[in-house]
Amino acid sequence: MTPKIPDVLADLAGLVIRNASPDVDPADRGSALGLSAMLLGIAAQEWDRAAARLVGENRAIRELLSEAPDALGEGALADRLRGLSTGQDEDLRISALEAANATLRAALIDFHAAVEAAEGEPARRIEAAIWAELRASTERRLIAGAPV
Amino acid sequence: MTHPLEPRLAAYVAERMPDARDVRVEALSRISGGASRETYRFRLLWTDAEGAPRERKLILRRDPPASLIDTERRIEFEAYRAFHGSAVPVPEMLWLEEASDALDHPFFIAEEIAGYQAGPGLLWAEPYVGTLAALGQRKWTILGQIAKADPEALGLTQVMEPVALDASWARELDYWEGVLNDDEAAPLPIIRAAIRWLRAHPPKPAQKLSVVHGDYRTGNFLFDDKGGVHGVLDWEMAHLGDPLEDLGWSFNPVWSFGRGVPGGLLPREEAIAIWEASSGLKADPADLHWWELFNCVKGQAIWVSSARAWIDGGNREPIMVYPSWALQNAQDRATLQVMGRL
Repeated sequence: MTPKIPDVLADLAGLVIRNASPDVDPADRGSALGLSAMLLGIAAQEWDRAAARLVGENRAIRELLSEAPDALGEGALADRLRGLSTGQDEDLRISALEAANATLRAALIDFHAAVEAAEGEPARRIEAAIWAELRASTERRLIAGAPV
Repeated sequence: MTHPLEPRLAAYVAERMPDARDVRVEALSRISGGASRETYRFRLLWTDAEGAPRERKLILRRDPPASLIDTERRIEFEAYRAFHGSAVPVPEMLWLEEASDALDHPFFIAEEIAGYQAGPGLLWAEPYVGTLAALGQRKWTILGQIAKADPEALGLTQVMEPVALDASWARELDYWEGVLNDDEAAPLPIIRAAIRWLRAHPPKPAQKLSVVHGDYRTGNFLFDDKGGVHGVLDWEMAHLGDPLEDLGWSFNPVWSFGRGVPGGLLPREEAIAIWEASSGLKADPADLHWWELFNCVKGQAIWVSSARAWIDGGNREPIMVYPSWALQNAQDRATLQVMGRL
């Protein structure tokens, strides 16, 4: 999630302290603390699942990228994507998993665009698999009470 | 307790009301919500030229240090002024100040349309829940009137950048893709796929040049408990363009509030029929679909830029985090839904 959860939590801690002051306008305090509560609730939903979500998603994207030569044939892009597909998540800190996820999702954008333009049954099959993964990625990120 | 802005605001207004004496500002308080401008309500009191005490409820809209969106306040001000007194209900604009001397940031002052609500969360319970059909009728009738209006006759071609009928789609898509390119903090594969589709399947030229409100949705108008609409607000993204752009935004699934219908109010086909009857225009299904998908891109760009303003320190209010955390994934899902892939 961006902004990053630790950064937001640190800021919210400061905001709570500031709003403890009796000098703060009650309406401003109510608004600030109400929003803070909503954000804390979202952070709470993300806390337990974040690592599993990122590890699972990174694995799913690497599996897709491993099919780049099948879909695109040999070439510089396929080579780059295949290279990314062999990685593993050794560092399980959220920051490290998010950095790997960003690299993989950027590669997925390039792969998706190339597959759209490619011909042949492998390209169509992989295009469908990419859409399935994109749909799954939104299910992993669902927040309670979201409008969609 | 006196808000520190009150005497400064009173001094500003007093200079612009030469016939008034004893000009005072009281009860200045910030209205919560909104991530692009700071909005306050206040009471203006003065003695008129005949010696009679006068009072008026007003609104102050002031630019924050860094906003959710970068817009010209003059455009917003002129959009309100243009529609005042028309079939599109808007508050009366009083003063626009583009310099920062008076109140540290540019601002404008308008009448307060008091006694009504704007918060969509109120709509799903009494006394409003029984009025949703009537409210939807008014919502899309008013949008049709905005679409129907002649921007030249309103004077808005003097302040808003014109665009050719066949170029409005590209101008808007270029702009919001640019916002994504500048502001995204993480890759967005779903929105990038939507942008590729939009560029590959452009809509037909706009049937007319219209004023586009830019953020016409449930939550941006004042309503009563009988289905009436009393003021269309938040014109800061107003521009000239294709009238289907506004209709498409009003159908963004993010603004369905989880109720499965546009704006949480009416089925899509009913809303379209109301808009067509009011505007005299046609909502071509393929073109409307394009603008609905475009508005998913625009929405995502807005949530992304909100996060960027917070990350870069321009605006550390918690409201700037909320769109990214709460709406970015919902917007991705809305995009998949509009593309038939959810």
